Amino acid sequence: MESQIADLFGPDPGEDPLAYYTGDPQADLFLASPAGVAASWRGFVSGLARQSDGQLAQVQAQLDRHVDELGLAFRLTGDVKERPWPLGPVPILIGAAEWAGIEDGLVQRAELLEAVIADLYGEQSLVTGGHLPAAMVSGSPHYARRMVGLPPRGGHHLKVYAVDLARGPTGEWRVLADRVRLTMGVGYALENRQALGRATGGLLAAAGVRRQSDFFDALREGIAADCSRSEPRIALLTPGRFNQSYPEQALLARHLGFSLVEGRDLVVREGRLFVRTIAGLKRIDALWRWINTQGIDPLNFDTRSRIGVPGLLSACESGELAVANWMGAGVVESRAMAAFLPRLCLRLLGEPLRLPNAATWWCGGRAEREYVLAHLDELVLSSSFRTPVALLPGGTTRPGASLSAQERTQLRGAMARRAIDYSAQEIIPLSTTPCLVGNHLEPRSFTLRAFLARDAFGAWQVLPGGLGRVSQQGDLRTSLMGLGDLSCDVGIVDQPGMEQPAAQAAPGPPAVRRAQGLLPSQAADNLYWFGRYAERCNETARVARTLLEEASGPQADGGGGTVDRLARLLSRWGAAPFWAGPLGAAEAALGDEEQTGSAPAHDARLRSLALLLRDRLSRDAWRALHRPPPGFTSGSAESLIAAADAWIERSAALMRLIADTMSRSEAWRFLDLGHSIERASLVLQAVQELAAPGARSEALSALLDLIDAQALYRSRYLALPHAVPVIDLALLDPLQPRGLIFSARRILQHAEALPGFRQDGRADSPLRLARSIYATIEGLEAESVGAAVLDDLLGRLAQLSDAIGRRYFLQETRPPPRDGGVLLG
Amino acid sequence: MKYRVRHRCRLSYRQPVRDARLNLRLEPVAWPGQLVSGFSLNTDPLPAERNDHPGPYCVNISSLAFREPVQQLEVVSAFEAAVSPPPLPAATPAVAALRELAQEERALGNLSPAAYLYGSHIATIDEEIGAWAAPHLDPERPMLEAARALTTTIHREFAYDSVATHSGTLPAEAFTKRSGVCQDFAQVLLVALRTHGLPAAYVSGYLRTLPPPGGERLVGADAMHAWAAVWCGAEAGWIGLDPTNDCLAREDHIVVAMGRDYADVAPVDGVFVGSSVQATKFGVDVVPIG
Repeated sequence: MESQIADLFGPDPGEDPLAYYTGDPQADLFLASPAGVAASWRGFVSGLARQSDGQLAQVQAQLDRHVDELGLAFRLTGDVKERPWPLGPVPILIGAAEWAGIEDGLVQRAELLEAVIADLYGEQSLVTGGHLPAAMVSGSPHYARRMVGLPPRGGHHLKVYAVDLARGPTGEWRVLADRVRLTMGVGYALENRQALGRATGGLLAAAGVRRQSDFFDALREGIAADCSRSEPRIALLTPGRFNQSYPEQALLARHLGFSLVEGRDLVVREGRLFVRTIAGLKRIDALWRWINTQGIDPLNFDTRSRIGVPGLLSACESGELAVANWMGAGVVESRAMAAFLPRLCLRLLGEPLRLPNAATWWCGGRAEREYVLAHLDELVLSSSFRTPVALLPGGTTRPGASLSAQERTQLRGAMARRAIDYSAQEIIPLSTTPCLVGNHLEPRSFTLRAFLARDAFGAWQVLPGGLGRVSQQGDLRTSLMGLGDLSCDVGIVDQPGMEQPAAQAAPGPPAVRRAQGLLPSQAADNLYWFGRYAERCNETARVARTLLEEASGPQADGGGGTVDRLARLLSRWGAAPFWAGPLGAAEAALGDEEQTGSAPAHDARLRSLALLLRDRLSRDAWRALHRPPPGFTSGSAESLIAAADAWIERSAALMRLIADTMSRSEAWRFLDLGHSIERASLVLQAVQELAAPGARSEALSALLDLIDAQALYRSRYLALPHAVPVIDLALLDPLQPRGLIFSARRILQHAEALPGFRQDGRADSPLRLARSIYATIEGLEAESVGAAVLDDLLGRLAQLSDAIGRRYFLQETRPPPRDGGVLLG
Repeated sequence: MKYRVRHRCRLSYRQPVRDARLNLRLEPVAWPGQLVSGFSLNTDPLPAERNDHPGPYCVNISSLAFREPVQQLEVVSAFEAAVSPPPLPAATPAVAALRELAQEERALGNLSPAAYLYGSHIATIDEEIGAWAAPHLDPERPMLEAARALTTTIHREFAYDSVATHSGTLPAEAFTKRSGVCQDFAQVLLVALRTHGLPAAYVSGYLRTLPPPGGERLVGADAMHAWAAVWCGAEAGWIGLDPTNDCLAREDHIVVAMGRDYADVAPVDGVFVGSSVQATKFGVDVVPIG
């Protein structure tokens, strides 16, 4: 019956949203796809429609949530804050047969570029033989003369490679650009697949989309190949958290199990690279660098670099360090290089280029120059080496047709002097793919970034899929993502009957290992302060809450100045100005980010530390941290108390989420050490303020509130709070988790478990201090606790914190590179 | 002409600096018409590691690494050089022809024109300097004559002023001020040539300290000196032009290194942990010995 209705009225668009999809039958990827692949598109999109009861727009909202939870973000150049990653729910699906052709071409191109790079840094026969003009090579800012005659161990300059591809209106694929310096997008491709997989259940698998995990295994093994040690330690070298693709780098490090390091974490000694860890220097065997060659070593490349590692090159020279990709590989990225690749392919590989690139003219040649000037309207003008040149100040591209008459004259003049700076490319019309717009699917033009990596044996593997970019308008030839672009997953669909080959004979399970990954000093530092700020945030909110409750309680006069004491405590912690008055102090502590000690100020610090710890935080912790902070109605005690509750829950939940999922490794110890030291120090300060000699029972009761021991006290003493038993609870009761001795014991346990440096068997100073603090507290009696004891303990806790910093964290901040000009007359 | 050169310099720091790693570029490169012998480079204190290697471009680099903190570093280099420049070419190709020749050279090496055709971080292509130089660079004019005229123009239009600029001054700024020292003049000259697509380089070296009898003392002789060089075709090769003294670099000039700009051949640079240089003392003796 149902089928009859379908026959009469056509398919219900709610069931098959692609039924009424229209576009150019040849140029549109879906419309041009063979029947089997088209069925996969239909199956996937109808699945989406079923999941959302025909309301496809809801799918987007659901997907956005998954993107958010994965912590996917990126920056556009110039952005201060990260933007959520734009991911569309409809993947680009490519049939296995079509993909096989692309794959073939990509691998050939990778081999070709490897051969070109090897020649330019070796024999240079391409140049001396006249196959590649010298000026075409030397014009690249990425041609590193320093690397000539310095081949990588194992011979592979390229290990990771990304290619931008366009599909033309008749279905042929062309290369738009090669990316060998930074393969930006490979992490996003990984996460796009994960987010889409979570949001759409089994739809991808049902559509027969090939899995991608093998590629990332190959990438990891490929980077580890050629190392001189059998169990190499690998790090991902990032320019730092302000880099455009830092989120991507962090997630790749996490996914691949590489240490995420910055230049200042690393040091070169006698031709070997080391990372500074809490246990001293540890050797690094291989680096995946996300820093340009020019920035990677201020002693050997650009002296001005502040993000590199001085002397890194000497570790490469000695053969003790593998780097992906090898320094200088970027020379093949020049736009002008594409003009020569077809001929170079014949020369070096003895066969034609299988995957053509866009036709390109380098104006350094006289004939090419004349052709370009004569056909300007049909071409895209570009800077040969992506450097700023006259008319292209950003070093980018521009349609020739957009040049005014005056600009054309200017261009002729510039070409008469420096034609070498200019190239031109044919304009490639892009074909389209179905894209969700509101509730409907509409054709939108797209490009695809494909990724390749060498495996353990040096053979190239292609990621089945890649990063799709769909654009409403605008130029898809720009960097990673432009404003208004949407990314999408790319799936390779195996036709029925030619299911994907089973993973190659599995090499057997790896040996079980329990060793902890290494903990760079900087990460330890960040974890320690994360622990401290989380606790301080929590305590600040607690004090504010107790203050608000005291102030609105029956003894609104403040019960012997208790409210004032609490306000003073807040002002002492920098959470509120001292003139704020009790309510004002609470309000500042809970809502004023300008106050350096307020809960929102600590929260902001936690978020900025979290960026640096991105590779170590669980998704749940990340999500908790990025929930909007509690708000309140100004002046309303009730609303303020609710906000304080929310702050307390938020910071406590955060610590739990992190601590619960973190292995009990050294990383966890530093987090908990920070937390315990902060808690110990805050309880001492609370005792100073609230249990000073002559404190009234209201103040002591507030102290019990702060340490969550009100009920316990009542059950033990059945009396109004008295100083001695309250102090005993706050400082000396070993079972009281918010009490001092409890924290002191944890501190001592951590200090004992952390690695020691000393060869003579004596204790490092953090351990000595932790022991003495614990022993002092153990020897105290509540009756004898006075101002001097509290001051002394606070002082020693501060010394302990300093000692931990000196012993385990990076001390060195590098000054700007020295200017040698002083020697010159 | 034969010279004995002795270059001494002392760097002092306010506080001892740690983990110092320095690059010294003081050993003269092999250069046509210049024969260097007996080069020595000594430092006090001695470094923990020293590695001498040829750098990118025409430069010899000694990389030093110090493990112990350094508060004062003394560097002394000395050598003898016999200078007899090859004869000047009778004629050089015209400017337009040279531009094509430079692009046709099938070489990427340190002396190839291709290595010196493009802007660098310091010496960027500059349309304003290019426009200023254009009247001298007529396409039909012989290259050396044109470059020599440009050298004279700089000497005439620019004031020698050792406080107007510093070692980090960019050519564009020196050009606007129309003043500077040898480094600025050299860089303005090479930027002018490169902006016209002509290969030009930055040269560091020494000048004879004492004038020949009856001659004038040259400017820049009491320290390291800098000038420019222009490529005049495969046969003539690189010819030095000294805008500070309005002359060609010949018997009075001893080449230490050639690069795209000052940074490629800086006599010393490096990184360390600590505060920057407090004081520098240096002295250069270039004594003719026959």
